[in-house]
Amino acid sequence: MSLKLDFTLDNQTFRHYLNGHPVVMHSHHYLALITKLVEEMPDLGGTQILKDSVEESMRAIFDDYIVKNNLTSAQDKCNVGREYFSVFGLGKMIVSGNDNGGEVRLVHSHIDEGWVKKWGNHDKPINHFACGYIAAMFGAAFDKPLNTYAVTEAASIAVGDPENKFIVKIA
Amino acid sequence: MTVMRDTVVNSLAKLRIQSDENGLVPEYEVLVNLLPVSLLNTFSEKILKAAPPEKKEQVEAGLVRAAYECGYHTGCGVITSDIFNEVVIPMVTDGEVDILRGAYAAFTAWGWAKAGIVQIKEGEKMVVRAFDYYEADGGGDGLRAYMLRGLSQAFFDLAYADPYPDGMDTFVCHQTKGIELGDSYGEFVVTRK
Repeated sequence: MSLKLDFTLDNQTFRHYLNGHPVVMHSHHYLALITKLVEEMPDLGGTQILKDSVEESMRAIFDDYIVKNNLTSAQDKCNVGREYFSVFGLGKMIVSGNDNGGEVRLVHSHIDEGWVKKWGNHDKPINHFACGYIAAMFGAAFDKPLNTYAVTEAASIAVGDPENKFIVKIA
Repeated sequence: MTVMRDTVVNSLAKLRIQSDENGLVPEYEVLVNLLPVSLLNTFSEKILKAAPPEKKEQVEAGLVRAAYECGYHTGCGVITSDIFNEVVIPMVTDGEVDILRGAYAAFTAWGWAKAGIVQIKEGEKMVVRAFDYYEADGGGDGLRAYMLRGLSQAFFDLAYADPYPDGMDTFVCHQTKGIELGDSYGEFVVTRK
């Protein structure tokens, strides 16, 4: 499967749309600082808020694409999330698993490589964004409600590992 | 000739970012991403909602800071890029003011906000109005255009503070009106810090 990309522009507002959803461009500085912001707010549950925001928002986009393109197999549905990840400039993802969970590797990661460019290596994994994203991708692939999957980061480019590894389990 | 905003907007709006074989977008000396507006607004609203009153200012400052550093570093890459040199620089006859006009045209073209400069005192003060911006859709209480605040401060620092990368945090931006509050436009005032 190859994701269909329909980029459009509203000539009045100059807002940009991808497959009907408004999108906007930012840089690694933005996501690195948002990640740092949530890390500095453990009392607010900052990292969980970021994960939940990503899962909720991305899930709506994946589901919309799946419905509009009549996708039925789990493989095709999962590929929607995997391919969108690269279209969004977030890196390159390798996915394995089934409806009970699985493993996701990032051989390239915008957030981790951006963090390292900005601040160097960190002492713990920081890609909370991808945890939420992967939860949304598995949920969409296997028709499960939000918060079905718990995703933990087991290896991290930000820490110095050659790639990121995420473990996906039923929450 | 000074910068012809519509020409710049129409030229730059057609550009599409495209990821490379690694799923990354290295452009303008940074890694670019393209994110759904719904995600950005959802995150801002959720973290502000979670913050008790004594922490709201810290959260808002963090959201502005993320936009500011993104704007400062990416903005420098944009105004020194081939496309900016090709489309904007030939129209620049009024120094930094024209560079800023070009930057706000790029700002509009790339969907951050339909915004432009309405008043400027070089090196001292700038007033920007935005007639459409995605943060107005967030749904929370109060003025919410953290992105526009950060980016406006960044652009003025790039134009009038010490040369990049030494000019950070010379100016500050305050939002004085907002579509999210029922005003017909958002207004942003940049002054020396």
